[in-house]
Amino acid sequence: MSWAIEVQNLNVWYGDKHIIKNVSFRVPKNVIFAIMGPSGCGKSTLLRAMNRLLDLNPHARVEGQVKINGVNIYGDNVDVTWVRRQFGMVFQIPNPFPHLSIYENVALGPKLNGLVKDKSQLDELVKQALQKAYLWDEVKNDLRKPASMLSGGQQQRLCIARALALKPRIILMDEPTANLDPVASSKIEELLLELKEDYTIIIVTHNPQQAARVSDYVAFLYMGELIEIGETSTVFTRPSNILTEKYVLGRMG
Amino acid sequence: MRLNKRKIIDRLMLGIISVLAIASAIPIFAIIVNVYSEGARYVSLNFLIDLPPPPVGGGGGGIGPALVGTLVLVALALAIGGSIGFFTGLYLSEFSHTRLAQYTQMFLQVMVEFPTIIVGLFAYMILVAPLKRFNALAGAIALSIVIIPYIALNVREAYKSIPYTLKEAAFSLGVSAPIAYLRILLSAARRGVLTALLIGLAKAAGETAPLLLTILGTTFTYFGGLDQPINAIPLLIYNFALSPYEKWHQVAWGAAAVLLTIILAIFIVSRLMVKEVKI
Amino acid sequence: MDSEKIFLLFLIVFVSTSLLIMAGIVTSLIINSYQIFLRDGLSFIFKNVWNPVKEDYGILPALLGTLISSAIAISIAMPLAISLAIFSAEIAPTSIRGFINSVSDLMASLPSVIYGLWGLYVLAPILNQYIMTPLYQYLGFIPLFSTKPIPTNLFTAGVLLAIMITPFSSSIIREVYNAIPHHLKEAAYSLGMTRWEVIRTLLGYIKSAILAGAFLALGRAMGETVAVAMVVGNTFTLPRSLFDMGYTISSLIANQFPNAEAYSYMMPALYGGALVLFMVGLIINLAGLYWIRRVMTRG
Repeated sequence: MSWAIEVQNLNVWYGDKHIIKNVSFRVPKNVIFAIMGPSGCGKSTLLRAMNRLLDLNPHARVEGQVKINGVNIYGDNVDVTWVRRQFGMVFQIPNPFPHLSIYENVALGPKLNGLVKDKSQLDELVKQALQKAYLWDEVKNDLRKPASMLSGGQQQRLCIARALALKPRIILMDEPTANLDPVASSKIEELLLELKEDYTIIIVTHNPQQAARVSDYVAFLYMGELIEIGETSTVFTRPSNILTEKYVLGRMG
Repeated sequence: MRLNKRKIIDRLMLGIISVLAIASAIPIFAIIVNVYSEGARYVSLNFLIDLPPPPVGGGGGGIGPALVGTLVLVALALAIGGSIGFFTGLYLSEFSHTRLAQYTQMFLQVMVEFPTIIVGLFAYMILVAPLKRFNALAGAIALSIVIIPYIALNVREAYKSIPYTLKEAAFSLGVSAPIAYLRILLSAARRGVLTALLIGLAKAAGETAPLLLTILGTTFTYFGGLDQPINAIPLLIYNFALSPYEKWHQVAWGAAAVLLTIILAIFIVSRLMVKEVKI
Repeated sequence: MDSEKIFLLFLIVFVSTSLLIMAGIVTSLIINSYQIFLRDGLSFIFKNVWNPVKEDYGILPALLGTLISSAIAISIAMPLAISLAIFSAEIAPTSIRGFINSVSDLMASLPSVIYGLWGLYVLAPILNQYIMTPLYQYLGFIPLFSTKPIPTNLFTAGVLLAIMITPFSSSIIREVYNAIPHHLKEAAYSLGMTRWEVIRTLLGYIKSAILAGAFLALGRAMGETVAVAMVVGNTFTLPRSLFDMGYTISSLIANQFPNAEAYSYMMPALYGGALVLFMVGLIINLAGLYWIRRVMTRG
């Protein structure tokens, strides 16, 4: 079976603090894989270790391997920009580029990475991405308007479109609905269920109910350690670890 | 202390503070009024183009060579000082955890308030003495050095104020560092960067001391080449104001009116830009 | 990864250029002045003579002129700067605060040659007529006022410098004042203090910032060249009263430089003066920055 991504013996330190402790797991293709755990357990760090966004933090140190198609992205001679292009990332607070228009936000990635040859191809790419993110109908007449005038939920879908425009293999999501109202949140959750047909989705969430709702597989992270991992239905109904049980029953931060 | 007495003192002190505050603001208005009332009458298109008048007798005259000189020097200073300042500021912002950045920032903060005459002495040594004559390039270099700290520190602020999450978004697109910093994030920081350059522009146009020892202030040629002496508006004002000739005093006031207008224009433009950012 | 390394190197080149320039400046002062220190030692700093023909130079009057004019400037500027800061932060109606701050910033960015021109032809005569001459006439027995005033002298230079450095120190004080935690202000008011008493308390709280602002402003005053050169009189005498004409180190350099190439030791003397000015200014600026950092990290 081929895996979308394999994490092997991953350790991350911020200065002297050991944040991710010897974590290993494998994510199959075309599933929604949730990483859940209480605040501060290292979920966001783990996510950023996967697309090497952690490199931006000068105090972070990474040991271990993360493999895509058998290639260790932390190996020597690996082009970090290639690594990042394999992923699309959506962040906790919607962060479209405020100084760019809706169109430009989606078009920026493909343009700078040379994915298209001319304007009509770019237009088509932007349209497809916005359609896939279920935003096209709402913005198709306002493409030149600044991204900052969209609502929170719309901005987040714009960020999803921005991520999709790069045609990544894997989409990383860092608590994407944490700052959205329930209506906007459920729209995004529905969107995820559709997207997994074409992409592998790794979603970090601090809300176990969300993990139960949307994911096929779930990993429970606690204080930087991988406590339990498995099919969502199994982990939620018959957790094999007392900590997992406490978490899914809502008895833990 | 009885309440009444405290209240009286309160009123008194607030009054004194207000008076002193307003007093400290009077000079700027006085300067603007005086400069324009003394100098505006001499300013005309001819004034901006013509050679300076002879000390006594003769016609109106103007500040043509000085104006050209200022344009040349400022353009050069912005090109040199602006690029060094910009990339230094970018480094200070994005690599602020390194010791190089910390030391450099400290030195730059000292340099900001440096006596600019000392910069002139440095430029004299490295560019005037070897060439054995005063030259425009020395003046341009001196001005560049003066504006580097301003531009670097302001560019640093501009980049530092970009939210970290935008930086993450930019890099998550898989673009290289130069493209992330210079195409995506520069666009996000452009107002701050532009303000930095405007500050540099105003400084380069108005500084005199760096020019005293470097460009000579020749009054009769418009532009003879970078290795030749040149004039500039601030230097002209300085020389003419200190001369014993009434005619030249008038030209100095006129030039001051021109210079003040330039500075005011730059100031207003940069204020308007910053206001937009705040909204 | 390669493009990142190259970009980093590219940036470091520029940063190094900045550092090299600063190092170069200091070096140029040393290598161009060592001749005079070699010949005269530190007495160069304390001699009162400027005789190009005999190649005998000493910068004492200029050094004193720098200190005196800066002292005058600071004593006038600090009350003004504090008042302006408090006025803007506490007293003025909010609608005009932005305007006041803009005016203050404009003053800070005005070219010094314009200050000099105005100082020479407007300020100096006014000071002479309304302040200096009366003081000389009525209080001339006090050593400070014992010279018959001429419009361009140390006093005028000091006042002009005060006008120039007030906005700068004012904005520093204002920033720190506005950064005082709100709950401290509320605590003071809740004790039933009048407005002035609250202000006085808060000013005490930011004493270090005011001190730092004073140091930085002092550094600026000492380094100012052009405006001072236009109003200080440019006479090489040992100042005995505030109304004496004089020199400052920077105006000495500006004034004497055209002559310097004709003599052997004048250039080193001028660079030597610059070195002294640099050292004094450096110490003062570093002291100011140190105090500011202490205030910022404490608050």
